[in-house]
Amino acid sequence: MLRRYLAKRLLIAVPSLLIASLIVFTLPRLLPGDAVQLMLAEKAYAKDVDELRAKLGLDRPLAVQYVEWLGRVAQGDLGESLWTRRPVLQELGQRLPITLELAFFALAFALLIALPVGVISAARADTLQDYLARSAAIVGLSVPGFWLATLLIVLPAIWWGWRPLIEFTEFSKNPLAHVAQFLIPALILGVAAGAALMRLTRSMLLEVLRQDYVRTAWAKGLAERVIVLKHGLRNAIIPVVTLLGTQLPQIIGGTVIIETVFGLPGMSRFLFDAINQRDYPVIQGVNLVVVSTIVTLNLAVDALYAVLDPRIRY
Amino acid sequence: MRLSRRELLALGGLTLVGTAVAPSLARGQTPKRGGTLSLKTWDPPHFDLHGAGGISYKIHIPLTFTHSRLLKHKAGPQVQPGTFPLEGDLAESWTQPTETTYIFKLRRGVRWHAKPPVNGRELTAEDVVYTVERFLTLKGNANAYMLASVAKVEPLDRHTVKFTLKEPFAWFLDILANPMAVAIIPKECVEKFGDLKKPESVVGTGPWMLESYRPNVGMTFMRNPNYFIPGLPHVDRVEMFVDEDKASRIAAFLTGKYDLGTEFPGTIDRTDWVQIKDTLQSKRPNLKTLEFTANVMSHISMRTDAKPFGDVRVRQAMSMAIDRRALIDAVFEGVGAMNPPVPAALREWSIPFDQLGDGAKYYTYDPKEARRLLAAAGYPNGFPGSICFTTYGSTILVDAAQVIVKSLKDIGIDARLDTKEYGAYVSTCFYGKFDSMAFGPQTPYLEPDNFLYGQYYPGELKNQSHSDDPVVADMLVRQRRTFDVAKRREIIFEIQRHLAKQQYYVQTPSGVYVAVWEGALKNYGPNLGYDYGGRLMAAWLDR
Repeated sequence: MLRRYLAKRLLIAVPSLLIASLIVFTLPRLLPGDAVQLMLAEKAYAKDVDELRAKLGLDRPLAVQYVEWLGRVAQGDLGESLWTRRPVLQELGQRLPITLELAFFALAFALLIALPVGVISAARADTLQDYLARSAAIVGLSVPGFWLATLLIVLPAIWWGWRPLIEFTEFSKNPLAHVAQFLIPALILGVAAGAALMRLTRSMLLEVLRQDYVRTAWAKGLAERVIVLKHGLRNAIIPVVTLLGTQLPQIIGGTVIIETVFGLPGMSRFLFDAINQRDYPVIQGVNLVVVSTIVTLNLAVDALYAVLDPRIRY
Repeated sequence: MRLSRRELLALGGLTLVGTAVAPSLARGQTPKRGGTLSLKTWDPPHFDLHGAGGISYKIHIPLTFTHSRLLKHKAGPQVQPGTFPLEGDLAESWTQPTETTYIFKLRRGVRWHAKPPVNGRELTAEDVVYTVERFLTLKGNANAYMLASVAKVEPLDRHTVKFTLKEPFAWFLDILANPMAVAIIPKECVEKFGDLKKPESVVGTGPWMLESYRPNVGMTFMRNPNYFIPGLPHVDRVEMFVDEDKASRIAAFLTGKYDLGTEFPGTIDRTDWVQIKDTLQSKRPNLKTLEFTANVMSHISMRTDAKPFGDVRVRQAMSMAIDRRALIDAVFEGVGAMNPPVPAALREWSIPFDQLGDGAKYYTYDPKEARRLLAAAGYPNGFPGSICFTTYGSTILVDAAQVIVKSLKDIGIDARLDTKEYGAYVSTCFYGKFDSMAFGPQTPYLEPDNFLYGQYYPGELKNQSHSDDPVVADMLVRQRRTFDVAKRREIIFEIQRHLAKQQYYVQTPSGVYVAVWEGALKNYGPNLGYDYGGRLMAAWLDR
């Protein structure tokens, strides 16, 4: 049944991706000023603009450009950057792993914060621990990541003459330094997601802990750990997993600023530069990859429901 | 007359403060070979300075380390910032037999970097010809206009090149020395790579060689052992880091990562400087500083070909409405320089205010007189208008725009700020495509001709105010044909006197840069412009 469901979802994903491709192709073209005007910047003579536009193939009708691009995408070719003439796929191959690594660590931190704190907060509802945890969650949700990042970089530099390593190190050169460079940015990214997940974990767990079967478990004399973690958390976790799925795009969106602040040459920064330069193939390629990743992850989250709750049937 | 420091700066003077290296001391020490210099840089979109997008300073700066030009600007602590004396780079000597011909004798034995596909062969006159022709003909080279005066370039022999111009152009040598123009490139790289966008194609004859480029991360340069000036450069390795975030850059500078200030051209923004200078004093006590006026100048442009800006009294009123002192206080931490039409930073060409004559009064804040002028022009209650604007991501500009809107409102000009995204701004308002007014910075050129000719000559692309003044047009052509520097300066001063009265553009003040560098870096002198490599070529590290 699950296979059939997944196949159905995959089929639905195809038109979703087509619509997404149309949006990612069209929207950047609506921005005022194109790549040619930005290349020539403050010295754009009319003749040069037309010539360069023709050279880059930007003078043809938009529909023609879209169909051509889609045809190439179907063959696994995302085109070339208008600025560097490097293949977008090749650039993405170098940058996507960095963004995914950052997002993975951020998610890990979010879960490491959310689950234990959410569980303790629910199990010790209306105690000092609960109040502290909830207040911390509000702070975590309210403090912007870029501000936290700035403080974490600047204050140690002023106080102790130290700052976190901001110099990208490849895994092959120094695996430890490579992982270490992600920890602080991932923690900052993970804080807001962790706070949201913690609040949901707490409220869902509280609801479950008030159910009759939990009361029965208490009456049977089961240990608190077993009641909370086995009978409570497992039944409370599905909405948290759903939220986790929706947090992913937010985390990936947050990487734009965090990658810039911490000098990580990931995909988000690549996209940010491309938007500024109106590098259409790059904008389209990156967005298509992001959309595909999110569609795939949401599919994975749906599939996970059945694993977490055997009662769920597709 | 006693002048306060602020007043001195306001007159556009150069200020030397801090503990700038005494040139005599630097010259007295024996340079040391070796060491690694650590700089902050910007990530280049590619490395082809003639290709589309090649006008970016992000490309020009790294290529000043790897490439040579025919001429260059002298560098070092003895050169006053804002001046650009010329000297030969690849050219050993040059002559000008007629007003339109130049002959350059190239140095012998200059070798390309020992990298494929050129592999250290000797540079010849053919390379210069190839470069100039590519510069002029490659589609998308937005800087091609800089050499628009060139009619023909030809090799006379293996080491001699002749340029023939279409008409006399007195700034020709200055343009050849400008790092924005013609860095000499080898034909083999273009043939092998198709263009010069890839880092592998960065092969020059400059003092350093590009060892590695890491997108969004940085690049490393190694000393060129075959550089044509024996003994140079002194520094073995230059590490350049892309550091896009301001907070990160400041933290890095505080902790000693960078040897030069992290902002262009090796400076620290004054707003940051006033906050961190005390901390720096304890953390990096050996830092050296030098202050000089920035050549980034903003102005209000307006449709002088239409009402109400066609009336000179309206334009004069607008200039008198601007409280430039308040602007300096509000956006430049109280330290700035007043600009006549040529920015005060170009100290040899910008006319001192006490020589500006009758036009000087229009740079004085006098809202009462401004209102009187408006009334005389038929606008006793002012008029509505819009100011096309983009932020360039700069809070300084946003603050300045607010001050300007308020100043104009004070005399009855109800100007609404029409903020556009950069791409939209640069494709419209920057070229004078606006209905009322525009406000923004201009490219920080090193020659006054670029500030004047483009902005005031009728029909020029950057004549944003649509000015069409035959008196100015005549003088603009005349200065280009005047080779005697003193006479040319007098014409340029005369142009500025005339423009001060006409106020086709309302110039606003510039900030004063705080150049900062590590004390261990000897024989370094900061200056305006992109020539980082040129300024560091003879510098050395004492650590």
